Amino acid sequence: MDVSQYLEIFIDETKEHLQTLNTQILELEQNSENMDTINEVFRAAHSLKGMAGTMGYKRMQNLTHDMENVFSEVRNGHIKVSASMIDCLFQCLDALDEYLNNIQESGDEGSNNNEVLIKELNAMQTGEGQPVEETKTEVVIQQDAVSEASPKEKWRNMVLGEPEKHVLAEAYKQGKNVIGLTVYVQETCILKAARAFLVFKALEDLGEIIISSPSAQDIEDERFDYDFSIIMVTNSELKQVISAASGVSEIQEVCANLVEIEVGEVKEEVKEEVKEEETVTESATQTPVAAEPKKKETKPAEKKGKPVVNRTVRVDIEKLDVLMNLVSELIIAKNSLVSATNAEGASNNGVNEHIEYLESVTTNLHESVMKVRMVPIESVVNKFPRMIRDLQKKLGKKMELYMTGEETELDRTVVDEIGDPLMHLLRNSADHGLESAEVRKERGKPEVGSIFLDAYQEGNNVIIEVRDDGNGIDVEAVRRKAIERGTITEEQAEDMTEKEIINLLFLPSFSTAKQVSDVSGRGVGLDVVRSKIEALSGEVEVKSKLGVGSTWTIRLPLTLAIIQALMVVVGGEKYAISLGNIQTIEDISPSDIKYVQSKEVITIRGTVIPLLRLNEIVGVESTKNEDENMIVVIVKKGDKLAGLLIDELMGQQEIVIKSLGTYINKCKEISGATILGDGEVALILDTNALL
Amino acid sequence: MENTKQFSNNNQYIVISMGDEEFGIDIKYIDNIVKMQHVTRVPNVASYIKGVINLRGEVIPVMSLRLKMGLDNDVETKNTRIIILKLEQYGMLGVIVDEVKEVLTLTDGEIEKVGSNNKEEKEGFVFAVGKYDNTLVSLLDLNAVALERE
Repeated sequence: MDVSQYLEIFIDETKEHLQTLNTQILELEQNSENMDTINEVFRAAHSLKGMAGTMGYKRMQNLTHDMENVFSEVRNGHIKVSASMIDCLFQCLDALDEYLNNIQESGDEGSNNNEVLIKELNAMQTGEGQPVEETKTEVVIQQDAVSEASPKEKWRNMVLGEPEKHVLAEAYKQGKNVIGLTVYVQETCILKAARAFLVFKALEDLGEIIISSPSAQDIEDERFDYDFSIIMVTNSELKQVISAASGVSEIQEVCANLVEIEVGEVKEEVKEEVKEEETVTESATQTPVAAEPKKKETKPAEKKGKPVVNRTVRVDIEKLDVLMNLVSELIIAKNSLVSATNAEGASNNGVNEHIEYLESVTTNLHESVMKVRMVPIESVVNKFPRMIRDLQKKLGKKMELYMTGEETELDRTVVDEIGDPLMHLLRNSADHGLESAEVRKERGKPEVGSIFLDAYQEGNNVIIEVRDDGNGIDVEAVRRKAIERGTITEEQAEDMTEKEIINLLFLPSFSTAKQVSDVSGRGVGLDVVRSKIEALSGEVEVKSKLGVGSTWTIRLPLTLAIIQALMVVVGGEKYAISLGNIQTIEDISPSDIKYVQSKEVITIRGTVIPLLRLNEIVGVESTKNEDENMIVVIVKKGDKLAGLLIDELMGQQEIVIKSLGTYINKCKEISGATILGDGEVALILDTNALL
Repeated sequence: MENTKQFSNNNQYIVISMGDEEFGIDIKYIDNIVKMQHVTRVPNVASYIKGVINLRGEVIPVMSLRLKMGLDNDVETKNTRIIILKLEQYGMLGVIVDEVKEVLTLTDGEIEKVGSNNKEEKEGFVFAVGKYDNTLVSLLDLNAVALERE
């Protein structure tokens, strides 16, 4: 079978499953008895195995198969989660990751059999560590509860809510058949959701589906393994139902049974089993199963404790860009229409009405498209707990990562780029920031160091903070190092504030770590962090207190494609300045201009601010007279301020940022262009480059 | 038969006029030809870069072929056109020309390569000469035209 067309989906889904495994195994390390987590891990491993098998990646399948076996033993309480097991599992995940990388690059999984890992897994499975008594008994009870029913009839494990029970009781009273069934899809089936849908459709022709497990939504999104369970109410016979369900192709098996309702109890009457070969086996075992005790049993397919995932469609980011461009064009076309009708004197009221309607539609459309591009930063930060765990072992320090605000949303392009800088900062905190346990003890700090990663939205920006309670930055050490390296002279060092010294850290090839470690300290970190974040039109700041800890603050624009801007005119040319960079707008008289070191400055509320004449920067003649009052836009970059002298203010406008292209790349004062309502192009000033 | 051969060789050129001279631009590099429109000046770039225009929602840089060739600055007339080129190295790029005349199909035999190492002069932008109807048309080397220089 040619599976190449599914390769992309396979890679995406495998990544997701690996992430789930990473997160859940980490959780397992904290709380080794959590059945939900173990089930989750088991399910992810199982899906991985199935997928790898379908795609013909035998080595990957073997490894996941053995992992699954171990999880299965854990789930049954035969072995207990141990630290060495967690380590081994993480190694397995790394190995799977390697397979995946190989597949992504060459379409082939590579030739590494990972026999050592498989041996280790097998050793674990055969009970290398004896289970602890209490876990065993606990699980055995649960086992007993299930063993009463045929293990294939998973629908018996479904948890019924009060409304469902009521509906079933009603139907039963009316003499309708209540049928429970579990449908097994062939493991080779690729379009599971489509098959499930056909089964649903076939059953809905016969009666009403009361409840399904996983939910209909999950099934539609293909969030199930190879089976799903349904309880339905129908006037048809059991056999009809079974043949309808098994009539769908690629369905391996349908296990169905009549459900007898007695005062809230579910009883089974006859048991039927249909194989694909249409052989019907009847059995007359009558096992009354109460609905109540079932609730204690958490079935894997229940997805309990899993974050609610919205229905999603994977879309190529380029398609979104095209959509975005079309929307911008639509808005420009609409604006031209508005100005055209205004010019004609608006004789027709009907036209104006329609234009207003068009206006509201385009505005809404624009907003929606913008929102589509936003994704939570979760996908990036999810890998960090695992990273910190590995660092902990590598560095021999004790640390804990606390994250908040993973749901904060950013433009897709920003989210894709922010991973590396954040990783650098976290590694930095772990390696340079946090002290060793002994030192921490001496200083009266808790032995386990804390690293915090907080994300939140603030106005039009998203703030991401990386904070640690470690040693903080030793300003004196940085100063000495800078002099030693010749970055600054001793005289310069004398004049520099603490903040300026700390900012030296962002210079290329500057590292204060005494030893270059595997983790950080090569001096390629912080300057990369800064340049990457600035490329995203963001900024990074650091606050630090020696002995208490440091806080790195990354400020990013919500989205790159659209900004609120102030439109200004200088020498008859229109320029846009991002509102995020503007502090205030001041009206000053020419006599307010003072000179410091023969440079023009103004004093605003006690602060001396350098004055920049925009007309000189862009090389045009100002249209204003020397003695007229002047408009100054105060722009900021971090703590630095500057006053931009302009001719005229046009007002605030939402603008779509367009690139100037690769041909014009020498102009550092201009960060891009935008198209105004009349179709004219206006340039966007990069005030950060001016400061 | 001969016609199909010509088309498959893509020897089609748009003939433009610049002052008294005529130049040919290979049609495969041409995305579009638009009328002269308002060009937004970009500060602090080479003088031959006129600025940027809005072409159906795309911002496209525009250069003056006259200034690049060392001729007088453009004088806008009703015949002035911007030829939008699509170059592998630079992407979309607009070139202002005095007038667009016609489309010319040349056979391989009608094209005579000229060698020139001098990229500074007008001749440096010409890679070959096309002969037709007893007149000559200089065929432009677009990568040399686009090449950045002060």
